[in-house]
Amino acid sequence: MTPSIPLLHAAVVLALGCPMVLFGMLGAASLVPERWTEGAIARVTGTSMLICVASLTLAFVVHLLHGQAAEVWTARQWFSSGSGAFRFDVLVDTWSLAFALLAATLCGVVSAFSARYLHRDPGFGRYFTLFAGFTAGILLVALAGSVEVLFAGWELIGLSSTLLVGFFHDRRTPVVNAMRVFATYRFSDAAMLTAAAVLHHEVGSGRLSALFLTGDEGSISDLSAGSATVIGLLLIVAVAGKSALLPFSGWLPRAMEGPTPSSAVYYGGLSVHAGCYLLIRAEPVFDASVVARCLLAAIGVTTALYATLVARVQSDVKSALCFATLTQVGIIVVEIAVGLRTLAFFHMIGHVCLRLLQFLSAPNVLQDVAAFETARSRPIALRKAQGRWERRLYLFGLERGFVDTVVDRCIVAPFHAIARFGDRIDRFLAGETPP
Amino acid sequence: MTYPEAWPEAWPEAWVLGLLGLPALCVALPRIDPSLERQRIVAVTAAITMALVGSFPMFMSTFGAWEIHLGTPLDLECRTPLLRMNRLSSVLPTMAAALWLLTVAVTPKMLLARNGLQRTALATLFTTVGFLTENGPLLWVIWAASVRTLLSALDEEAPPSRSHRDVVGWYLWGSTGALGLGVALVGWSRPGSVYETYGLGLLVLAALVRKGIAPFHAWVPAVFERGRLGPSVLFCAPQLGTYVVAVLVVPRAPETMLRTVAVLALFTAVYAAALAVVQRSARRACAYLFMSQSALVMAGLDCASDEALTGALVLWVSSSLAFAGLGRCVLVLEARRGPIDLSQHHGGYERKPILAVTFLLLGLTCTGFPGTLGFVGEELLLAGAVEDFPLLGFLVVTSGAFTGIAVLRMYFSLFCGARSQSVRLELRPREAAGIVGVVAILVATGLYPAPLVSSRLTAAADVLASRDRPRECR
Repeated sequence: MTPSIPLLHAAVVLALGCPMVLFGMLGAASLVPERWTEGAIARVTGTSMLICVASLTLAFVVHLLHGQAAEVWTARQWFSSGSGAFRFDVLVDTWSLAFALLAATLCGVVSAFSARYLHRDPGFGRYFTLFAGFTAGILLVALAGSVEVLFAGWELIGLSSTLLVGFFHDRRTPVVNAMRVFATYRFSDAAMLTAAAVLHHEVGSGRLSALFLTGDEGSISDLSAGSATVIGLLLIVAVAGKSALLPFSGWLPRAMEGPTPSSAVYYGGLSVHAGCYLLIRAEPVFDASVVARCLLAAIGVTTALYATLVARVQSDVKSALCFATLTQVGIIVVEIAVGLRTLAFFHMIGHVCLRLLQFLSAPNVLQDVAAFETARSRPIALRKAQGRWERRLYLFGLERGFVDTVVDRCIVAPFHAIARFGDRIDRFLAGETPP
Repeated sequence: MTYPEAWPEAWPEAWVLGLLGLPALCVALPRIDPSLERQRIVAVTAAITMALVGSFPMFMSTFGAWEIHLGTPLDLECRTPLLRMNRLSSVLPTMAAALWLLTVAVTPKMLLARNGLQRTALATLFTTVGFLTENGPLLWVIWAASVRTLLSALDEEAPPSRSHRDVVGWYLWGSTGALGLGVALVGWSRPGSVYETYGLGLLVLAALVRKGIAPFHAWVPAVFERGRLGPSVLFCAPQLGTYVVAVLVVPRAPETMLRTVAVLALFTAVYAAALAVVQRSARRACAYLFMSQSALVMAGLDCASDEALTGALVLWVSSSLAFAGLGRCVLVLEARRGPIDLSQHHGGYERKPILAVTFLLLGLTCTGFPGTLGFVGEELLLAGAVEDFPLLGFLVVTSGAFTGIAVLRMYFSLFCGARSQSVRLELRPREAAGIVGVVAILVATGLYPAPLVSSRLTAAADVLASRDRPRECR
């Protein structure tokens, strides 16, 4: 641990504060009848992002100049209870600052792109409010030093993501898809919250240094193998939901209903990789639990194989790109599972940048293909599936691995049946005639 | 009278007079001025003043407690005070005032019954007196009076929609009977005797019915769906059953009884949240959301850890305000559109963003979303519950997940969908101010929860300490 560096602390607090204040400002502005103009929203967002990136760059440089040691410090004590305190802790090390800087830079780029892309859209202000919420969320996840902060960021990402999937909410399909995305997120968030509670219970505090840093006081080495396995498995469920790993992959193509810039930054870029970042940070947990590590590897391999098959037969560019993204996410997860943490981190950074660019240029690609076909005077021919196995794989890919069907039949339908039965019982107890 | 060091001699009387006098004035108002709009202005002013007066103890750092002793037949030996203010009840009158303010400010004009404001003030008066006493007989009187107030509101409906009224009456009068019998048994039996245990069981039963804990919950969805939503919300939101458990049951009950109730409450929390997900009626979904939140509070109250108890007390405040706000939002929408079917998307976000955003924030408070008071309550409850019994922690999380899905489904249904131009949807300034005010309180206390948590922590410590006091006289 290095001694505290006030300049670094100030820079990190400023970087975290900018998107949060922006989120609050735009949210409050959306409530008043005389809303801000597009230009004002774009200028305020741009300035905020610029300050955020500059602060994180400064923090990164200061950190490198001061020996690159990890530090967890309390920015503010939130509240204290009988046996412990809930603090706003920030974890500063090379991994967290690098990921935060990447996230802030990409959010800044996408916000500039969005200002033009969504020009004169009725939901312009709403989009930027949610986008500011996402930026705040991803920075909280990147720099979280306690489970409470991590969970706050995790939830903020989930909510903003859901509301952006349902951005065009005067149509039914985006809203239905947003609901599906949210249901999956809630499931994974529940796992995250349970992991947080177990950590609190076992370590006695919510400090993430216990999970992320080895050799720290109250670190993972103090946990029993059983507890480490439980925390590891819960983290896998949390990450699988957020990063669309199997068996939660069904929501990813549905999330493409949102505006393209948000799809780029969420599902091509940062949101699906937030889980990978968490797994990279939590490597000490997987070092302590062979079971969790093996399961992680298995999920990574199956997700990569599944996604690569499905990506090849998608008929729209955004779906093809999202499954291509998922393939790489699966591979990154395998890299983490076999202990190649540094490789996984650089793979993730490179992949985020590439996919984000591909998503942002996807509408242009459609135009380019049309122009290309017009110039050739005939459409680009697609090869037909031949042979029994190839046709079966084609069908498997076209139906997206039947993931949605399985979830509908095995989870959604039984849940609805049980809940409706309970409702009928309640009506009977209230003296109503059963419908 | 006994006074703590921080209260100058005449203050308790003046404080009580101010607190109870304001709703009492509004009860008498229709005899003075028949104009509903003028009555509403007076009621809003009285509710704001009451909230300010009620919050006074929260700002006194050395606040201890005061008591007004008037012996009652059942409590002569222990000399339970008739009225008292302690750390547990220090925030509750403010909460009652906030609920009153929300009700009078947000109720649409077309839904305002002739004596609705009077009944609202009466309900607030009963609730506030209830929160200022731990005298069993007086609590029973308050309990019965509030039940009577709700049932009288249901009686005003046209006969075809009154079929539910008898069922609700059976449940609520049953709970009143159980409470009365329980108070009598506990008051007259020796501490630790089997009769005291029976009495405590009856008190718990009364609270379970009033809070809508399964399997005694069927009246809640019925009264919300088919009764009058406004009075039902005002009856349920303060959670008088929680208060009865905190002051009469927790100090005396054996641990096994509390543990059993906690398990029952947590299963109810999950069950009700799951049922809220599949409802078609917005009112019924609201009822199940209330049941789920109320059950979480009950579960925390029955845990042995101070963290869980603090969480429950924080959650009590947050869930009451958030649930009342959600109920009012539904009422406002119904006044403009008629009954709301959640299987449809009704649209109109662009025309009422304030209502949509506040609805979402109120719902997120119920789910324990970070940045709201609900998050603070649920985090504390979860941390305490896991310490106490890990399965309980898992159920808290599961309930939160289902509640989140139910809330977002309601939000999408109520505010998303094709734009409709035929209905006037804009909020009146009075309505907007009421709902935004509640959201502001929930967000402000969520971002800066330390004072409230500290106050609830000391209250929890008092409640737990009361378990260790000599059993002859608590």
